[in-house]
Amino acid sequence: MTANGEAAGGLGTGDGEALVALVGAPNAGKSVLFGRLTAEYADVSNYPGTTVETTAATVGSTRLTDTPGVHGISSFSEEERVTKEAVLEADAVVNVVDATKLDRDLFVTLQLLDMGVPTVVALNMMDELEADGVDVDVDALEAALGVPVVPTVAVTGSGVDELRDRLPEASAPASTPVDSYYDALPDAVEASRAEKTLLVEGDEPTARRVAARGLVADGGDAPLADAGAREAVYRERRSRVRSIVEAVEREAGPGRAAEQRLGDLLMRPMTGVPIAIGLLAAVFYVMGVVVAQRVVGYAEGVLFDRYYNPAVEAVVADLLPGGEWAAPVEFLLVNGNLGLLTITVQYVLGVLLPLVVAFYLAIGTLEDAGVLPRLAVLTDRGLSRIGLNGRAVVPLVVGVGCVTMAVISTRMVGSRRERLIATALLGLAIPCSAQIGVITGLLAGLGLAWWVGYLAVLLGVLGVAGVFLDRTLPGRAEPLIEQLPRLRVPRPGNVARKTANRSAAFLREAVPLFGATAAAVSTLDYVGALDAIVKGVRPLTAALGLPPSFGRVLVLGLIRRDFAAAGMTDMALSASQTFVGLIVVTLFVPCILTMAMILRERDARSALLVWVGSWVTAFTVGGAVAAALEVIA
Amino acid sequence: MTAALVDVPPDEWIELVDVPDDESRARLLRLGLLDGRVECRRRIRNGPVVVRRRGTEVALGRSLARDITVERAGRDGERR
Repeated sequence: MTANGEAAGGLGTGDGEALVALVGAPNAGKSVLFGRLTAEYADVSNYPGTTVETTAATVGSTRLTDTPGVHGISSFSEEERVTKEAVLEADAVVNVVDATKLDRDLFVTLQLLDMGVPTVVALNMMDELEADGVDVDVDALEAALGVPVVPTVAVTGSGVDELRDRLPEASAPASTPVDSYYDALPDAVEASRAEKTLLVEGDEPTARRVAARGLVADGGDAPLADAGAREAVYRERRSRVRSIVEAVEREAGPGRAAEQRLGDLLMRPMTGVPIAIGLLAAVFYVMGVVVAQRVVGYAEGVLFDRYYNPAVEAVVADLLPGGEWAAPVEFLLVNGNLGLLTITVQYVLGVLLPLVVAFYLAIGTLEDAGVLPRLAVLTDRGLSRIGLNGRAVVPLVVGVGCVTMAVISTRMVGSRRERLIATALLGLAIPCSAQIGVITGLLAGLGLAWWVGYLAVLLGVLGVAGVFLDRTLPGRAEPLIEQLPRLRVPRPGNVARKTANRSAAFLREAVPLFGATAAAVSTLDYVGALDAIVKGVRPLTAALGLPPSFGRVLVLGLIRRDFAAAGMTDMALSASQTFVGLIVVTLFVPCILTMAMILRERDARSALLVWVGSWVTAFTVGGAVAAALEVIA
Repeated sequence: MTAALVDVPPDEWIELVDVPDDESRARLLRLGLLDGRVECRRRIRNGPVVVRRRGTEVALGRSLARDITVERAGRDGERR
């Protein structure tokens, strides 16, 4: 369904569900409001789309969708594309406006009205507005916009009932100043008012969609989307925003400044770097030490190793009759590498579940507090050298805790190009905490000089790979334009709700994918393909000066990175052999969970690029280091 | 007096007069940063520049800040 210019009366009284989208800037309070509007209803589900998530819930006959935060409806980022689609499908929109950022947020409001989307404005954060010492004349704003405006404080639930009551009044003015730009479009164009608005704003995906309908005159190759008009439309809309803000907003008293100072402290390198290191160390400690090592260690070592796996193995042995046909089935279900009922379940419940919950808790907390954009500002300088911008700091740090989780967090780094670079660097050169544990043990036996050498090689690979990808991938680095939200104390309820929703949605999608991968690897194992790989890599291990048994280590590494490192502890290797071996297993392919996640988050091509790239890099760098050590020795 | 955004000291009021990149210009326009005077809040050494308008703070990456031409109004530029 497409929103059109008619006033939308009687929402939810039609045959089907009415689709309502919550739209607004990041941190305007959409997700809290979403929680308030749907609180009493259980049917909440997350749809983590291909890259950016939306959440939807059905309340009565209304299907409410929470969209990613945006500063405009267009296609400058993945978030905007997802939100634009949700708006185009919606019967009505609740536009969440941060009352303290009226001048910024009314652009989206007026854009929605220009598009003819029936809208109700939730003027949120009225409490913060008061604390700022500013007053907004709500009646005047309602008159100026011509649609309902409901003052709300989402965190306390104030105004939410009125918002729900006035939802059926959602409307859009019959005509707006943007109409005058429609004349530039071809007469024959078959597009809704929403689409026409996007066309005059030069939105390429809309132009392609409208052109694909084949309703435009044949052979008319005049571009539908004209980026030239965009600027004029945007400027005209901004001038309307300015005059509305001037009319409805006035200073009512002295404001506050405390958070400003705190926010500044976070961005100034002198103070920000220590604060950021502290925060990231806390995230790393929770993810990498408490969860990835202690919780997962207990789950794997005690719960699964001692109780669950032996019990399941006994049951399967009991139930399956002897006989030739049963052997492959039994192998598939309970083999010691990736048995479908044993190790696969262990990975999902014992490893993945605790990590996923901890990850979403940590990210949700930082997100709610508004510190992530400030971390991005602080780290932009270094990361822009390897084709990324500051937003990539989170995946890279989370990666040291768990690369699998980090792959999910690459969603926040911006364009496809940057996501691919971040994913590739994660898969290639960032060792995860499980692996670091074993590697630390092995390097500790060698001495400090080897430690320094190990870090230098890894950082070198990270830098070279980043610069290489930045130079070879099409497009260019997206410049950082980061809006800095207000800092505040995270609200536990909001963080807990987000964590529960996201974890459940993640597991729903990841479990079947991982199960299928495990079954495929077990099959390869059964038919002897894994042994063939061990034989196949023998020339490679020999070239690195490593014994043939190292091939077995690599095959274990195909499944889990720490297994590979752990496999080396039993081998009798010289110091330089250990060093070369550790470099190779660190740079070698990501674990099977990470690969499943790259497949889910990116696509098969990216996954193949990372996988093959890891083989090449691991052996090239390993070979070079081996040769260099030979020369030195 | 024009200058590159990257060379503007903090606390100075400026007007962003030329943003060569189309997409960046559209994004800044939407945020209201091309509407008139903005305050240069902070310049992180070799890093982004933070500008502010009506309580909205936006960080602009260094490469972008290098490309943006601004009109300088001085420290006592009035707010509007």
